[in-house]
Amino acid sequence: MNNVLALAGVVIKELYRRKDFYVLFVLTAVITLMLGSVKFFNDDRIVRFLKDACLLLIWISSLVIAITTTARQIPEERESRTIFPLLAKPVSRAELIMGKFLGCWLACGLALIVFYFFFGAITASREHALPAIIYLQAVWLHWICLGIVVALVLLGSVVFTAPSSNATISFIIVVGIMFCGGHLNKVAVHMGGMAGTIVYTIYYSIPHLEWYDLREMLIHDWVRIPWLPCAEATFYGVVYSTFLLGATWLVFRRKTLTV
Amino acid sequence: MNRLVLLLLFVGCLTLATQFAPVFESVQARSGPEVGPLLALVGDSRRLFANHFFTMADNYFHSGFYPTIFDARKKEGPSHLDVASHEEPAGAKAGQEEADDDDNFMGKPKDWIEKLGRNFFPTTHTHLEGTDAREILPWLKLSAEMDPHLIGTYVTASYWLRTRLNKPDEAEDFLRQGLRANPDSHEILLELGRVYFYDKKNPGVARNIWDTALQKWHEQDQAKQNPNPHVREEILGELVRADQQSGDYKRLLADLEELEKISPSKESIEKYIQDVKFKMAH
Repeated sequence: MNNVLALAGVVIKELYRRKDFYVLFVLTAVITLMLGSVKFFNDDRIVRFLKDACLLLIWISSLVIAITTTARQIPEERESRTIFPLLAKPVSRAELIMGKFLGCWLACGLALIVFYFFFGAITASREHALPAIIYLQAVWLHWICLGIVVALVLLGSVVFTAPSSNATISFIIVVGIMFCGGHLNKVAVHMGGMAGTIVYTIYYSIPHLEWYDLREMLIHDWVRIPWLPCAEATFYGVVYSTFLLGATWLVFRRKTLTV
Repeated sequence: MNRLVLLLLFVGCLTLATQFAPVFESVQARSGPEVGPLLALVGDSRRLFANHFFTMADNYFHSGFYPTIFDARKKEGPSHLDVASHEEPAGAKAGQEEADDDDNFMGKPKDWIEKLGRNFFPTTHTHLEGTDAREILPWLKLSAEMDPHLIGTYVTASYWLRTRLNKPDEAEDFLRQGLRANPDSHEILLELGRVYFYDKKNPGVARNIWDTALQKWHEQDQAKQNPNPHVREEILGELVRADQQSGDYKRLLADLEELEKISPSKESIEKYIQDVKFKMAH
C-alpha cells in the first residue's frame, strides 16, 4: 500500500508542477467572468445561462485533465526507461497500475474541488444562496465519473502505443457515451432484429457516464437527488473502474516494457 | 538568401491580403448590414444555431425537462414557450392540452439503466414562474443575433419582458431591433402595439401601430404570402379593445364587423355589434 501511495504522490506532484491545470482553470475563470459581465436586457439577476457555461467548461476541463494526465503516465515511464528502476524497487505491476490510477484520480479530485469552489463562489454571488447537498452530490458523482474515465484511459495506455492516439480515442469514446450512451436502448428498439440486439449489447456493456452529469439539476436549481440512486451510481462506478483496472493489469502483466 | 526568401514571403502575404480583403468585404455585405464578420463567415448555418438557441430557451422554460433528439415527440407544433407567449385564451388552452400530452414523452423506463439514470436529470414537467422567466432571455437574445429574421424570437422575448419582468422599455427596444431587420412584420407590430397599450398606457400610439400591422397583413395577403390568419384576428381583437377604451363607436363598429367575418365566435360578436349600434342610436 505504501508503494501505491508513493506512486500516487508523484502523480499529484506532477499535476501541480505542470501548467495544464492552471491554463484550464484560468481559461474557465476568464470565460465565465466575461460571460458574467454581459448584461441581457439590463437584467443582472440572470444566472442560469452563466451556470450552464461555467459547468460546461468545468466538465471539458476536468475531462481534458483526467485524460491527458492519465494517458501519458505509463508511456512516459517506458520511454524514459524510469519504469525499470520503478519495477525493480520492488514495485509489482499491479501496484504500479494502482498507484498511477490513484494518483490520477486524486489529482482530478483536487482539480474538481478548485473548479467547483470557483463555480460555487460565482453562483452564490449572483443567487445569494448555495444549495450544499446538490453541490456535494454533483462533485462526488463527477469525481466517480472521472474515476471510470481514468481507469479507461489507463487501459488505453497499455493497449495503444502513443499517448496522443490513446487520448484522442478516449476523448471520443467518453464524449460519445455522455451524449448518446443513455439513448442507445431507444435506438436499439427502433432498429430491431440483429442490429438492435448488437446495439442493446453495447448499451449494457458501456460505462454509463451520463448518470454522473448533474449539470441540469444544478443549473435549474433542483434541490437534490435521492441518496439511494447516488449510492447505486457510486457502486456501479467502483465496480466498473475495478473491472477496467483488472483488464489493464491483465494486459500489462505480460507486456514487454522495452520501447 | 534566407532573408530574401523571407522578404518575398512577406510581400506575398501583403499581396494576398490586398487581394482577399475586398472578397471578404463582399461576403459581409451579402449577409446584410446587420451581420458582423464572424456571423458572415458562419453563413447560413447561423439559422440552425438560432433555432437551437430558441429551443434552449424553451428548455430553460421547462427547467431542463425537455426531449432530446432521441425522444419521440408526439407531434410537431409550436413550443410551449411560443404558445405561452400568446395571450389569447384559446391558445392558452391548446398549450395546456399539449403540455399534458408531452408529460409522457419519456414513457416508462425500458430497463434498469434507464430507470436509475432518470434520477440524475429533471423528470418533472414544470414551467418557470414569475420573474424566474428572465432565465430564458439570454438564449432569445442570442437567437436573434444569429438570425435577425426569426420573428418569433422578438415577440416571445417581448412578451416575457413586459408581462413578467415589467421591462416595457427593453421590450420596445428589442421589438424595434426586430422591426429594423423585418420592416414588414405584422407580428412584431402587433406586439409593439401591446407594449404601448398595456404597459405604456398610450392607446393612441398603440392603435396607430395596430392599424399599420393590419395594413401589412393585408398587403402580404394580397401578395399571396399566406400570412397567419390568427394574427389578423389578434390584431382586430386588440383594435376592438383600443376602440372600447377610447369610446370611438364608429371605429369600434367597423372593427367588430371585420372581426365577425373571421372569428369563430360569430354569435357573441353579433350581439356586441347590436349593443354598439344601440349605444350609437341613443
